[in-house]
Amino acid sequence: MLTRVADSLYWLGRNIERAETIARILDVNYTRAMDLYSMRDGRGEHLWRSVMRCAGFVADPQLPAGGRVAAEVIAFCGLDHENPYSLRSSIRIARTNALGIRSELTSEVWETVNALYLYAEEQEARSVLRSGPSKFLRRVRDAAHAFAGVTSETLTHGDRWSYLVVGRFFERAYMTVRMLDAVDIEREPWPEAQRLLEMCCAGEPFTQTVGHASEPRDVLEFLILHRQFPRSLHFCMRRVDEAMHAISGTPPDTFANDAERRLGRARAMLDYASIGDVLGGGLPAFGAAMREEFEALHAAISASYQPGMVGAP
Amino acid sequence: MAKTRIGASVFETEQEYALGTHFDEFFERDGVAREHYAGLVEALAEYPREEVLGRVQSINAALLQRGVTFTVYADASGIERVFPFDLIPRILRAEEWSRIERGIAQRVQALNAFLHDVYHDQRILREKRVPADLVYSCKHFCREMVGVDVPGGVYVHVSGIDLIRDERGEFLVLEDNCRTPSGISYVLENRDVLKRNFPDLFAGYAVRPVDDYPRRLLDVLRHAALQWRENPTVVVLTPGIHNSAYFEHAMLARRMGAELVEGRDLVVIDDVVYVKTTRGLQRVDVIYRRVDDDFLDPLYFIPESVLGVTGLLDAYRAGNVVLANAIGTGVADDKSVYRYVPEMIRFYLDEEPVLGVVPTFDCTDPAQRRHVVGHLADLVVKSTAASGGYGMLMGPHADAAEREEFARKIEANPREFIAQPVISLSSHPTLVDGVLAPRRVDLRPFALYGREVDVPPAALTRVALREGSLVVNSSQGGGSKDTWVLQG
Repeated sequence: MLTRVADSLYWLGRNIERAETIARILDVNYTRAMDLYSMRDGRGEHLWRSVMRCAGFVADPQLPAGGRVAAEVIAFCGLDHENPYSLRSSIRIARTNALGIRSELTSEVWETVNALYLYAEEQEARSVLRSGPSKFLRRVRDAAHAFAGVTSETLTHGDRWSYLVVGRFFERAYMTVRMLDAVDIEREPWPEAQRLLEMCCAGEPFTQTVGHASEPRDVLEFLILHRQFPRSLHFCMRRVDEAMHAISGTPPDTFANDAERRLGRARAMLDYASIGDVLGGGLPAFGAAMREEFEALHAAISASYQPGMVGAP
Repeated sequence: MAKTRIGASVFETEQEYALGTHFDEFFERDGVAREHYAGLVEALAEYPREEVLGRVQSINAALLQRGVTFTVYADASGIERVFPFDLIPRILRAEEWSRIERGIAQRVQALNAFLHDVYHDQRILREKRVPADLVYSCKHFCREMVGVDVPGGVYVHVSGIDLIRDERGEFLVLEDNCRTPSGISYVLENRDVLKRNFPDLFAGYAVRPVDDYPRRLLDVLRHAALQWRENPTVVVLTPGIHNSAYFEHAMLARRMGAELVEGRDLVVIDDVVYVKTTRGLQRVDVIYRRVDDDFLDPLYFIPESVLGVTGLLDAYRAGNVVLANAIGTGVADDKSVYRYVPEMIRFYLDEEPVLGVVPTFDCTDPAQRRHVVGHLADLVVKSTAASGGYGMLMGPHADAAEREEFARKIEANPREFIAQPVISLSSHPTLVDGVLAPRRVDLRPFALYGREVDVPPAALTRVALREGSLVVNSSQGGGSKDTWVLQG
């Protein structure tokens, strides 16, 4: 496979996943903000600041004053053309990558991405907000789920598929880390834990698995360590690790490159640590350490598909 | 002007189909379809009008979703558009096609011989059958190719020869495309779309299939390297996703099972071309390149080009890689060389040309230039080095200011322009605003040159969708039709 193709598959996977997650984050917070907070008591601002941190990738966001916070944050994180982390940009980047490897994809995969792009390009911030953003955000999530389906069911499960899986699950894990980092469980344990569950699409799975009578700490355990929930950190890291090994052909529990070494180390920690060990230094410290680890892991994954090119073989 | 109605058709409306003095592909005379179109008239009558219109709309929406689009460069937004598909197919009788086939094969063989000659012995120049000045002043004459032997002597592996019909219905060659002609993807898509959406139209006809074009192309590309590689690796080189024909590059790569590469995916080491893969470098034997000469190798051509591969020309001249088409083929399809092609056919093949050509004025000749400048209102002026309908003047449709501007340009740079009388192009019923109206068409058959010249029955009919327009290029508001070559 061309290195450019591997790179595009990885970014295609990452950006579709990012689009899906941002759509969910915006939708969850938009509807929660309407019930929970009056825009005037200052708490809504806290909510939207956290949304900007995980969906807008802005470390210290400045929010507009007055009652237009929700609309402005949704416009910036969802439909902004300039913000490279917006939902719209993620879809555009995904589509550009898919277009560049058009001949490597099936028609079904390409058309799913292209149809999502054409739909998103037609949307205009003002009219999306006027009719309520849920319809638009729901459609993006549906398209991302369709993408998961057509990739799994029409592509050969070889290297192409594996690079897509690496991209999708890497991004999913990374977004989960960002969300863990952006909530304030100490200040408002339950509203924040519940919001976190919904942003991770974990509300129903958590209730079905753990039940109602539980502590916010159980929510963190579920999202970080659960072995079967497809958005937990543990689950995602295992999928990335397996896909990397499928590509390199290295036996499990050994490594052929730095990415596999880092993945193995992270897995060992998640495999055997208790939630008490994980959160020993507090949630913020865990979040900060994981973010650093993900940046290093991204660099290592990119390096793995660009072998040294000096001299003829 | 005679007028006619289309009888027995779902399109029967109050609108009338006006026949002019030009040739109409469909109607022999008022209300009477040509014999080979009779089956189509019957089949069309079976479809309810509203259903037809609805389906045509959904076809164009499906083409957009599939990304069967081209990019218009003049448009700053680089927006992607569907090349509009017209429902009514154009039908060519077997006898008509066999004449075209012979004519194209003959012409491409002569053009190829010409290229070999100008880059080697230059007999045709020394015998003054083609002016040497004309060749040397051609923008696409490539000095780096002089004396280079290309594999099998083939320069033009893929060409597209544009034909039109004059008032009498005779096919004439309008221009040759010997560099990187495009359009075959629309031929394949149009047939597929028409078969799926209007299957009954095919009921009364035996139409020659087009879908083996990619296989035939792959055969030609592999053949070019077979003498020195048992199982050659073929790649398709594209300028990338912003190129107007990117969709076609991706489609051909996918259908041939070849890797679609960009310049940055290739590297030349010790005059051998490699592609960068996740498992290291892999050798490349044949490059079907859809990147123009100027951008191919920044060492020799445009130094700022990022579309090409540094060192590619050296690898090519060392005989380590096949380029299809060869470098420097633009000297054969230069619009001012066009008028000498019948002479080439006589010179190299000792045959009379099967297909006629359009009389062409040479603006470097003072007498002819005076005539051109004095009669701009009756002539078409074309820029010799351009293609795609860019940089041309349609005299009868231009205003005085545009004509004056061209007169100045011609006087300043006579070598860059040729002029031809306006040939009025044949018309064909085309669905416009829900009714059938006559619109002008041309025909681009493609020729593949491997062991010999192969002309697959896969030709593109382009149609000028604007009323009265004679310009069919996609960039200038053209559309396309499925084109049926009937079995003999």
